[in-house]
Amino acid sequence: MAQQTWENYRQNKHFKPSPLKGIRVLEICTIILGPAGPGFLGALGAEVIKCELPPRGDTMRQMTPFGYFFRGQSPPMMHSNTDKYWLGLDLHKQEGQRIFRELAAKSDIVEDNFRPGVLERWGVGYRQLKEINPHIVYIAKTGFGQWGQYAEENRPSNDGAAQALSGYAWMSSFLGQPPLKSRLYVCDTFGALMGEVAVLAALHYRSRTGKGQYIELSQSENIMRAMSWVWPYQQITGKGAMPAGNRDVSICPADTFRCADDTFVAIAAPAPNEFRGLCAAMDRPELAEDPRFKDHMTRLEEENATAILKIIAAWVRTKKPEEIEELAENYGFAASRVYDSKDVVEDAHFRERGFITDIDDPFVGPFTEYEFPVMMSKSTPKVKWSLRAVGFDNEYIMKRILGKSEDEIKELYRCGALGKWADVQGCQPPPEWDGKAGVIIARD
Amino acid sequence: MEQQSWPDWVRERDDPQIAHTKPEALGDITVLDLSSKNFAGCLCSSLLAEFGAEVLRIEPPEGDFLRTCTPYGILYKGEGLNYLTEGRNKFHITLDLSKPEGREIFKGLVAHADVLIETYRPGTMDEWGIGYEQLKEINPRLIFASITGYGQFGPMSQSRMPDYDNMAQARSGIQSATGAMLPENKSYNECPWAVPTKAGPWIAWSAAGTFIAVGILAALYWRGITGEGQALDVASAEAYARFDDYAALWYQGAGVVSERFGSLDLAGWLYCFAPTKDGAVFLGGLRLEMWQAFADMLGKWDEWGAAKWTSISPFTQKEEQLKWAPLMFEETQKYTNEELVRMSIEYAKKGRLAPITPVVAPVCSPEEAMKDANWLDRGIFTPVQDPVYGELIVAQAQHKMTESPIRTKWVCRPVGYDNEHIYLKYLGWGPSKLKELKQKGII
Repeated sequence: MAQQTWENYRQNKHFKPSPLKGIRVLEICTIILGPAGPGFLGALGAEVIKCELPPRGDTMRQMTPFGYFFRGQSPPMMHSNTDKYWLGLDLHKQEGQRIFRELAAKSDIVEDNFRPGVLERWGVGYRQLKEINPHIVYIAKTGFGQWGQYAEENRPSNDGAAQALSGYAWMSSFLGQPPLKSRLYVCDTFGALMGEVAVLAALHYRSRTGKGQYIELSQSENIMRAMSWVWPYQQITGKGAMPAGNRDVSICPADTFRCADDTFVAIAAPAPNEFRGLCAAMDRPELAEDPRFKDHMTRLEEENATAILKIIAAWVRTKKPEEIEELAENYGFAASRVYDSKDVVEDAHFRERGFITDIDDPFVGPFTEYEFPVMMSKSTPKVKWSLRAVGFDNEYIMKRILGKSEDEIKELYRCGALGKWADVQGCQPPPEWDGKAGVIIARD
Repeated sequence: MEQQSWPDWVRERDDPQIAHTKPEALGDITVLDLSSKNFAGCLCSSLLAEFGAEVLRIEPPEGDFLRTCTPYGILYKGEGLNYLTEGRNKFHITLDLSKPEGREIFKGLVAHADVLIETYRPGTMDEWGIGYEQLKEINPRLIFASITGYGQFGPMSQSRMPDYDNMAQARSGIQSATGAMLPENKSYNECPWAVPTKAGPWIAWSAAGTFIAVGILAALYWRGITGEGQALDVASAEAYARFDDYAALWYQGAGVVSERFGSLDLAGWLYCFAPTKDGAVFLGGLRLEMWQAFADMLGKWDEWGAAKWTSISPFTQKEEQLKWAPLMFEETQKYTNEELVRMSIEYAKKGRLAPITPVVAPVCSPEEAMKDANWLDRGIFTPVQDPVYGELIVAQAQHKMTESPIRTKWVCRPVGYDNEHIYLKYLGWGPSKLKELKQKGII
């Protein structure tokens, strides 16, 4: 039985190997679209070296919700940058470029999110690196890819621009209301994730053929893939797709409803047994036989969908969310309160699974994170530590991976190729840091 | 010899137009996709099929319910539109797994497979005798990937509730913090749109399907080292919640629960949608000099005292954002989308702070997006010539690769369309055996 497979998963996961053991990733990325991808690989057990421009590093270090720093660190920066080693490297300097090439020669994967052509000007573009290491799987993630009109105009991009240009925001609003930006950096994170599908497929190809390759991903193009029916709908009907608020126009009923206490609950019950269950729970079993609602295809028609959703809305308005959830469980349809972040973090189920995980980090102290959300029975993903200050692991990387002598390392600092953090919140260690915790090689 | 320009060099090697001339990354992999009522599973097997994996999409004889999940009940040549977009490159066969004989046949296919994707309620596959513990005896190299609402273990795993996209969006903590703010002294009755708002597209299902694809590929790598398969477990709500960047830390560290903030951004200024004469634009200026460039571009350099600003941080505070946003919007409403885009491009060339670029992007409808020459040129909306469904537009080429790129060969197949080919190829069964199975209602 599957129980055996998953027994004590959370308790045992650190006693199992990681799937990407032995893979080294070199990251030269900022904000989220770039760094989140190597973050995923880090959780999967790859060794990730993140290069940042000293002394201030990743721009993301200054981004915080309403100016809130978590022990001096940016929360979104912490989230996308777990399980990495931190190199403060100036690629404007020739010596810095040389170090980058030395690391690339010993890496499996390189990830960047600069605008097209920038790294090539610094002598560390794909064409230069593949001469040193033809086995490299290289991915560049940007707003518009490497070629085409927008790339050639050198347009900058970011998540909000991609939400806007793709039509994603437009489709995620209420009809007649202005388009709504997601609270998520969804084009960044989904782009980063899809990028790793390509990277790992390329790694598989490499294991079969020995060949590396170059991959490019545009965050706008990628989010369009997630918009599914919208494109053939427009082609077939000749009409523009329209937003529908919380209603799912492909599944009926599926919507978010307001409860008696002004909180919200989502419900879905499209399959025949689920819909019958919902009608019974509402004490309206006859609705399942109503010709307007008799099967899913009929219910989906605009007029019928509007009618059934109105009936459900009126019913939910008389109930508390927990009553709805209990009825859903008993009658076999789906319902969930609209969870806020407190509900998620404190949820017993998420915690039992280890999805919500408490990490004891020597550098930033204890913190709560979301685990990599694929549980794997034999080689387990796991988030182990959070970010470090700019250049924090310079000595470790120079010694362990490149075998540099003390004199060579000193010289790299002297010429400015290597550097460490500025004394600025977000770039530097937490105020309570003792000068040692988390340091790997040289603790005086 | 002068070196070829970088964009030309890349395009010559990764343009989707030449993808079909290149080898396929996963050409050696066979996948069984048993997804039931679940788009995440179908997307996952599409992502593998785009790379050349041979995907056998196994449906019950009446077809998967997901085929009926289509906007407004619209069918195209008998198919639902969501299913049409993620049936790509797969062979579609039927098999009734609720019958013992169907399960025996299934075990025969498992012997050939590298990956299995399923989305039944936890325990269902075990009860049928085809759970991971049982199948690994037949094929220890099998990667057995499950997607469900709440996962294979944990207190909620035995819930009877099915997995749908809107459920995962609600459970993730993200919907609650997305949406318009309720205006002061207004009620939900007056502003029924000022509520927790989910994303329109099936993004939670897409997150689940894509995360497990990453897991499957990592498991393939691990299998390459050890020879061992394994079981994978994704819960849709967790997959989508993982996209949240800071809510957990903000709550843990400061006790703050993320709230709706309209189209402003809790973690950044300037980073919002702004109304214009003819719609809305996105404005991005997360660094001080970019925000100053916006003030300058809108002719407010002196009035707003932009020269004296020393840090962007104070502007990210809630009160400051709520103070500055209306001032910005008053200005942006004087221009059209097109004018603002041009102003930003010009500013990057000639403005006081050039080459600092204030990022402006029009908020497009999908109708506008589908006509955008840039995406058309990059192969996103190249129609697929499908042997059954004709010329159809589905989004594709979401990434581009020089050696083993993805490609879409066909979009979908009707129920059981490939029974003849697949049962012959894998089990050696010809027309007479298939006829017999059909009579028994197994395929």
